[in-house]
Amino acid sequence: MTPLHSQYDTVLRLTARSSAASLSVLRPRTGTRGLALSILSLQILASKCQQQYPLLNGKEKCLKNDILKTTIRNMSSVRHLNQEEAINVDLELFNEYQFSVDQLMELAGLSCAHAIAEKYKPDPDKGVLVCAGPGNNGGDGLVCARHLRLLGFTPEILYPKPTDKPLFNNLVKQCEMYDIAFIKEMPNMESLNSKYHVIVDALFGFSFKPPVRPLFAPIIELLSKTSVPVVSVDIPSGWHVEDGPTDDTPALAPDMLISLTAPKRCAKHFRGRYHMLGGRFVPPQMQKKYQLNLPEYPGTSQVVSLS
Amino acid sequence: MVREFVATRQTSYTSKILRSSSHRRRRRACKEKCLKNDILKTTIRNMSSVRHLNQEEAINVDLELFNEYQFSVDQLMELAGLSCAHAIAEKYKPDPDKGVLVCAGPGNNGGDGLVCARHLRLLGFTPEILYPKPTDKPLFNNLVKQCEMYDIAFIKEMPNMESLNSKYHVIVDALFGFSFKPPVRPLFAPIIELLSKTSVPVVSVDIPSGWHVEDGPTDDTPALAPDMLISLTAPKRCAKHFRGRYHMLGGRFVPPQMQKKYELNLPEYPGTSQVVSLS
Repeated sequence: MTPLHSQYDTVLRLTARSSAASLSVLRPRTGTRGLALSILSLQILASKCQQQYPLLNGKEKCLKNDILKTTIRNMSSVRHLNQEEAINVDLELFNEYQFSVDQLMELAGLSCAHAIAEKYKPDPDKGVLVCAGPGNNGGDGLVCARHLRLLGFTPEILYPKPTDKPLFNNLVKQCEMYDIAFIKEMPNMESLNSKYHVIVDALFGFSFKPPVRPLFAPIIELLSKTSVPVVSVDIPSGWHVEDGPTDDTPALAPDMLISLTAPKRCAKHFRGRYHMLGGRFVPPQMQKKYQLNLPEYPGTSQVVSLS
Repeated sequence: MVREFVATRQTSYTSKILRSSSHRRRRRACKEKCLKNDILKTTIRNMSSVRHLNQEEAINVDLELFNEYQFSVDQLMELAGLSCAHAIAEKYKPDPDKGVLVCAGPGNNGGDGLVCARHLRLLGFTPEILYPKPTDKPLFNNLVKQCEMYDIAFIKEMPNMESLNSKYHVIVDALFGFSFKPPVRPLFAPIIELLSKTSVPVVSVDIPSGWHVEDGPTDDTPALAPDMLISLTAPKRCAKHFRGRYHMLGGRFVPPQMQKKYELNLPEYPGTSQVVSLS
């Protein structure tokens, strides 16, 4: 028996006796041979543990492995954009690809509604409050509200600072024609918690720079403390686009974050249950150019889970 | 079909209730029959009760969406084209060796086709576009630019029959929509002739091009016989003449009050799907 064989033989005998004893072979070793021995001993230890404590049958293990591998791949490899990159990607879609804001906003809002519908079911007694800000993030929220209505939800919209441009005026009109109520002011905490089962935060997007203006600060304060699940569109409002929650404002802790096009750096600070990707309009060459590493959307779905 | 439907209703359990494999097989068979019944009932309901619009109603619904609901053409065209791509993806799988030929006409139907081509690209298909009479308006110029930036080839002329049949596995007919009035202009007549005779499945967007919007195929032009018809918003009268395999409904943007106003009786879209089967 060669020295290497004898070493392996030792490991086998040791692990055959007890798993506790086999831990003794896991002391650091040097060199290629030592590395191989460490790996081998780890594998043997793992298989011993599995033999003693079988948790799942074969198929379940394979399925969990696939989900785990996909999730790890989704989480780890997808590129998180900084604020400048996010602005550049947007500009490229409008200037070089000649998309209109209408088009992309429609697809973005549609995917937000789909993400919400995937994880939250319509409640016959409670509505969805959509808080729409003054910019394009608010526009995404207005489109989302309209599609939520078609999906069986009961949206209501808080739009405290409407933008007087044709695009936004039309979006408001569409929502009114869809019988979606516009509420005049933010409800108090008790009312918020009892009347709504989901709140959509579409106040600020990736162009936001702190601090939060006085008109919106109380709204964000309530959203940060409500017991109702909050769904943030692209960026949790009030967060720094790259650094995440700041010390200045009460920080939103949304239950779901729907990143549009690609996630932004602040998403690394997201601790909610569901991180979804939407805005399925990024062509392969753009993905390559910005090295986005976006996960594959399943089938014809407009959203894909990143967590 | 009806006989089978009736027969499943008469099934009864006369055998002993045992936890045997034969019993489990029968229960499973019964569940499958019940599911098929549900699908059958839903399909019959979809087919019979959904309202088919005449040309004037189709134009009015469209005008109302633009004038009263203040939708932009961009918005609705994006949703319409998206649903066409989804309908195609649902019934035809991408072919690694063959492309999808999208024949786009000069109007909004052609615009739907351009949007559809872009989404087909994202879904893994290989679209190519024939756009013989481009419309020089910003909306259409932008749609063309988007397709070019998505690396979708624009072919200069309609391929001959042999080439058509070998290079493509699906052809999208987005030439004419519900505003069409016969006869077909000379530029498009040869294209429609080829589409009516090709062995490749043809998918018509909203109206099989060349058909009369209410009366269906005419005697004047060679009549398209598409494999799939994707009605947008609501089906039109001519859809009653459709004999292909798949009649799909797309354009999921009709609010409940509009459905009630025009008595559309649209079927329920499943979940978040942008299309629903009418056949």
